[in-house]
Amino acid sequence: MKFKLIYPRWNKLPGQTTFNLPPHGPVVFAATLPDYVEVSFTDENVEAIDFDEECDLVGISMMLSTQVKRGWEIAGEFRKRGKQVMFGGISTMLHAEETMEHADSVFLGESEGRMEQVLEDWRNGCLKKVYNYMNQQPPIESVGPARRDLYKRDLYNHKGVQMVDLFHASRGCRFSCYPCAVSYLGGRVFRPRPFEKVIEELETIENNRLFIVDNSLAQNKEWEMELFREMIPLKKKWISHTIEDDPKVLDLAAQAGAWYVYQAVYDTSDYIKERVKRYHDYGIGVEGTILLGLDNQSEDDCKRLIDFLLEIDLDLAEFTVMTPFPHTKGYDDLMRQGRIFDFDWNHYNAGQVVFQPKQMSPEKLQDLYDYAWKSFYGDETQESKMFRLFAKVMMREMEDGTYRPRDRKLVNKSFGKEVVREIKK
Amino acid sequence: MRVPEKYYDEVFEFAGQWEVASKCGLKIVERGDRKVVIVTELYQDNPGTSVTAAAGLLAAQVCRAKGLKIDEIVYLECNPDTNSKLSFYDEEYFQVTFTEMDGKLTQPKYRQLSAEEVKALL
Repeated sequence: MKFKLIYPRWNKLPGQTTFNLPPHGPVVFAATLPDYVEVSFTDENVEAIDFDEECDLVGISMMLSTQVKRGWEIAGEFRKRGKQVMFGGISTMLHAEETMEHADSVFLGESEGRMEQVLEDWRNGCLKKVYNYMNQQPPIESVGPARRDLYKRDLYNHKGVQMVDLFHASRGCRFSCYPCAVSYLGGRVFRPRPFEKVIEELETIENNRLFIVDNSLAQNKEWEMELFREMIPLKKKWISHTIEDDPKVLDLAAQAGAWYVYQAVYDTSDYIKERVKRYHDYGIGVEGTILLGLDNQSEDDCKRLIDFLLEIDLDLAEFTVMTPFPHTKGYDDLMRQGRIFDFDWNHYNAGQVVFQPKQMSPEKLQDLYDYAWKSFYGDETQESKMFRLFAKVMMREMEDGTYRPRDRKLVNKSFGKEVVREIKK
Repeated sequence: MRVPEKYYDEVFEFAGQWEVASKCGLKIVERGDRKVVIVTELYQDNPGTSVTAAAGLLAAQVCRAKGLKIDEIVYLECNPDTNSKLSFYDEEYFQVTFTEMDGKLTQPKYRQLSAEEVKALL
């Protein structure tokens, strides 16, 4: 049986450096398919879809709200050709009812241990419209290594440099933050994978550079410390979300290869300044994530926050505007208050204002967002700051003998396309 | 971020979106000839759909379970004060009205109650 698995493209934010990372969801899903299934994977962000490729069933895996409309279009093309299409993934769960109108089947929840039955239904001509496993998470022990063999590696390479591989050590989140849907998607119980499974999977990843995509590693201090201890011998270098603010944890993280972390910067307090410094003290870089447009922020607050970033020596910063994704408290609140004015999911890219902010106009918030990017990267471009972080990891790799030079065959390629070099006269 | 018990008299279990097992706080108070039904979001103690996302689905289940008619009650959604440092988790009450269509409660409309209205009601 041939299963065509597709990851739809989305429009990248204008003016920002674009890197295409190998997507995680589709290859985690592919690992849950029975052995007799032959999978053909297309990531539309890096290659075109062949709608006429021979296949028995089409699966569309979507992570972002900005992928759903394109996912529906793709489904339409395949269904015109007589193929059945099923949807799954994070944004399928967030936009399930609408997606059902474009699908033969919608899979909600985690697919470990479920796909044998789904495919048997399909073979028997009785594929269900909805497979709902939202509240029946499979045993975490059943999560196996992702099918990274499906990646066309050269397409995730920028001028000879391989992009990081994505990896997860746990699911679920005990926090339920205002703008986040993770507790709806993965449950409110933190579910760490067994260490032997984590290490087994890490050992299969040839790439030395990773992005650990767990929502927050700071869920359980003992687990986090044990995870880092287990990772030390592997000598991987990695990016992650927040790490526990504890010297013992930070020390172990550094030994385990922490390269840089995403850290929310939500106010101009000394605590934030010191938090960033503590990461740096352990040689861990910091990319600040700054959410603009919350109800408690005035225009002056936003400007003060943006100025503050330049004082605290962040390595990188990523700005987003508050976006009311479905199944978040943010969505519920703004919906009740009648403040969401744009329901075009293509605009839910966290760079476009789709709601009425409390203390300013939507246009003013949009201006502040543009101002934030420009002022933070005014003296040094995003690409240049990224290169400085990249140089740090290269140095560490050279020290511990894990450095691999860039692939010379691909120095003139960026994500599968020829690099156009402008030579200044 | 546990919700203080003063907000509810019982934990009401309901089938949320996709029939996901969900929970909310429930308090029913009589005010004159009307019953005021207050459903409270339980955040970390609600494993499923929020009261706002469940909307008419939840209102219908409360009415069925308690023998009430939607047009004879005042239906309120409550955002409880969870003593969070974040202002998004402050107390708020919204009166919700629905349109009945094909036996379902749809198109929820929300009106936030003022502090005085809340005090008068509760």
